Amino acid sequence: MGTIVVDGVSKIFGESRAGPEIRALDRVSLDIDDREIVCVVGPSGCGKTTLLNVIAGFETPTTGEVRIDGNLVAGAGPDRIVVFQSPSLFPWMTVRENVSFGPRKRGVPKRRALTDAAHYIEAVGLTRFADRYPYELSGGMRQRVQLARALVNQPEVLLMDEPFASLDFQTRLAMQELLLQLWHEIHPKIFFITHDVEEAVFLADRVYVISVAPGRIKQVIEVPFAKPRTIDLVTVPDFVAIKDRVLRLIREEFRASDRQALAGDGG
Amino acid sequence: MTTEVTIARDDAAVAAGRRVAPASPAASRRAHYPLISVGAVLLLLCIWALVTNLFHISPMVMPTPQALYGHFVAMLLGGYAGQPLWAHILASLGRSMTGLLCGIVLAVPIGLCMGYSRAVNAALMPIFGFIRPIPPIAFIPLVILWFGIGEFSKILLIFAASFNFTVLASAAGMRAVPEQLVRAGINLGLTRRQLFISVMLPAALPQIFTGIKTSTAVSWAIVVAAELIAAQAGLGFIIEDAGTFFRTPEVLIGVVIIGIVGLSFELVITLAERRLLHWQAKG
Repeated sequence: MGTIVVDGVSKIFGESRAGPEIRALDRVSLDIDDREIVCVVGPSGCGKTTLLNVIAGFETPTTGEVRIDGNLVAGAGPDRIVVFQSPSLFPWMTVRENVSFGPRKRGVPKRRALTDAAHYIEAVGLTRFADRYPYELSGGMRQRVQLARALVNQPEVLLMDEPFASLDFQTRLAMQELLLQLWHEIHPKIFFITHDVEEAVFLADRVYVISVAPGRIKQVIEVPFAKPRTIDLVTVPDFVAIKDRVLRLIREEFRASDRQALAGDGG
Repeated sequence: MTTEVTIARDDAAVAAGRRVAPASPAASRRAHYPLISVGAVLLLLCIWALVTNLFHISPMVMPTPQALYGHFVAMLLGGYAGQPLWAHILASLGRSMTGLLCGIVLAVPIGLCMGYSRAVNAALMPIFGFIRPIPPIAFIPLVILWFGIGEFSKILLIFAASFNFTVLASAAGMRAVPEQLVRAGINLGLTRRQLFISVMLPAALPQIFTGIKTSTAVSWAIVVAAELIAAQAGLGFIIEDAGTFFRTPEVLIGVVIIGIVGLSFELVITLAERRLLHWQAKG
């Protein structure tokens, strides 16, 4: 398993058209090492999702590059699986079919693909629901299926785009703990985007705070707590202190983006 | 601990929700609705029987139910215009099914290509888009001019109409495939071909089905219209021929059979849709 290196990535949209170009990302560099969970937080519109899409290979960076183990990333692939916020399960497939779909289409023998799928369905606690369709599941359960569908490919990195944002509070906590538990068993690298500061600090080994327009890494904050972590951690003073630091940074960004918006309106 | 508890509750709720039948007052009221429907139909039949029997209405305007039943039995036994009743029904069914199936088989792949490729869409959309709002029966005179009044003309008309509805629905279905599903497929390492067949096609299926549904209804409407003009057999021929000779009961029987066959079509398609697309529109 290699390190993922994002090296000086900038992304400019609309440069070919007449309209004003948008600098979504500006020379972003970060690493995701083995067994690391990296969280990216920032106000909406700061280019978080663009960054994820560049790592996933859905977007090509204007300048800079993404390397895995020294190899340049070109295009999307099953070594970098995205867990989307909105439902992206195939609605006409059962849980089992959804999870085994990727490996089967890549030529893994049926029996092997089904065994692997069963293993990861078990890991996310859905064995009883393996033959149900997504519409028969709750929002939290669907996100667990997405996790299993991602992990079954044994990706280099899981790219998670605010995967728990639309869940209710209880379910979100449960999903965060489940993710850490899965991490403990399988040790995937995780690149996790969120606007929820507590979620970021709870999950991450490192939190990247991104500034708005253009998206730049404003600060990197190490989160030293050992894993596995339980939700009790969120009341520990050291945790609260780190959370406060991140919050302050983000609040500065909000004010900055407000000022920009006002200036934009005035001009 | 917290995880286990919450997830367990979550699962239990979902598991339970599927089995427990709703026993609300609204549900028991819903059980009465079929009775209301049957009652309404019976009421209409009673009014018909009373009015025609009491007021001595001419059978040429509206026969009594008992007289109509007599004509129906006679038609069942003796046929119409030298052919048994089922032969007329089969004649109409054969024409509409042939046209319909050919239309669908050709329209779905072409429609999918239109939805997939902007260039193909740009080439074909103006043609199909222009033809769509024209009532298919408007082409009857042209088709007769070009191909005569034989079987081919009738089937061609049905084919053209089914094709047009299905091709546009398939194209729309393909265009409406959620970007997220396509991305998920690409992300899992699918080839373009796999993506097309295993992700985009099933995702477009609900709209394709809507197109097929419309085409089926339209094909049945057109076969009757086509038979009105020139045919020696068929349900359209029966009502046209009987009408010419003021044989109102036979016209009515033909109309009712057309209705029953049309309803059966709809029923079969709805059942197929429920089985095939049970996952649709349920989030």
